[in-house]
Amino acid sequence: MKSIFHINIIRTPLIALLVIIGTGFMARAQDSRIQLASLDHLAAKANQTVDVAIDERLIRIAAKVFSDEKTDEKEIKQLLTGLKGIYVKSFEFETEGQYAAADLESIRSQLRGPGWSRMVGVNSKKEGNLEVYLLLNGETIGGLAVLHSDDKELTVVNIVGPVDLQKLAKLEGQLGIPDLEIEPAKPKTKNDEK
Amino acid sequence: MNDDYLWDKSGPPDPEIKQLEEILGTLRYQPKPFEVPAPRRRSYFPLLAIAATLLIALLAGGIWLRVRTRDQVPQQQAAVPEKTPIIAPAVEEKTTPTPKPQKRLAPREQNVAVYHKRRNTPPALTQHDREEALAVKQQLMFALRLASEKLNLAHRKTQSMSPANQIKNQHRVG
Repeated sequence: MKSIFHINIIRTPLIALLVIIGTGFMARAQDSRIQLASLDHLAAKANQTVDVAIDERLIRIAAKVFSDEKTDEKEIKQLLTGLKGIYVKSFEFETEGQYAAADLESIRSQLRGPGWSRMVGVNSKKEGNLEVYLLLNGETIGGLAVLHSDDKELTVVNIVGPVDLQKLAKLEGQLGIPDLEIEPAKPKTKNDEK
Repeated sequence: MNDDYLWDKSGPPDPEIKQLEEILGTLRYQPKPFEVPAPRRRSYFPLLAIAATLLIALLAGGIWLRVRTRDQVPQQQAAVPEKTPIIAPAVEEKTTPTPKPQKRLAPREQNVAVYHKRRNTPPALTQHDREEALAVKQQLMFALRLASEKLNLAHRKTQSMSPANQIKNQHRVG
């Protein structure tokens, strides 16, 4: 009897604590952050690596130095409102085949979770595979994930929180930062059409 | 043999009965006060433990919320000291390391100039915070630009692959 009582003393609060922690994790699971740590091993093979991890606290700190008077910075500041994190991992390799399909699958499997919808999937020989996923909370966007894989490049962008896609799309070419050398859609020549 | 002893304990007892009495006497009912508190006291422990766990969780949550909202507090306080003659923010020190000609101005004019400058710059940031914020800003802009670029690429690709464009292109070829 004593031993059962002893177990209960330990077990009951432990269960209560687990329930509390579990509830917290469930609440976190609802957010749109995807785990990118599975790609970390690619950094050793990559020629160039970009790793950006900005959480809500850092976004708030950065928002303080955005000007309210410059239109473009004001737009970015508005875009940042409500965002809970921006995470980027991008790897550029010198040779082909440096990453495995399993690396992509580790990201895709998370994007098959509840709430996520694949909005765009483009397969191009020239520019690789590009997938855009949105986490939809009803009619609002709760997060964005972009997965771009090329022969020599793998990029994952994850924005956590409500994103204004139109404002985000406008940012390319703004703020005096040069474009990231993505070729604009060229008018098709006759040879291409064949 | 007289059985009175069995009925009302009068008369001489039979030695066998006397022996039985002695043996069974140890099991005789002995009145005691009713003791319930022992099991009750025990049942309070799990409840107390749960309450303590919840309390700790609430405290932890409270501390976490406080830490999270700490960054917002300086923003609210920032507006208050604007009218008071405070040393110019760290940003100005960084951008104008040379001796300032403004020092020749009257104190009141100086305050007005500082006030206007402060209105244009984000207040209440220390040098360290500002450096951190600028570093994060650069990363942030890069990340947003990259996301924007990828979205636009997807948009362009889907546009170029849409059936309407195909029909248009076919028309041009023809």
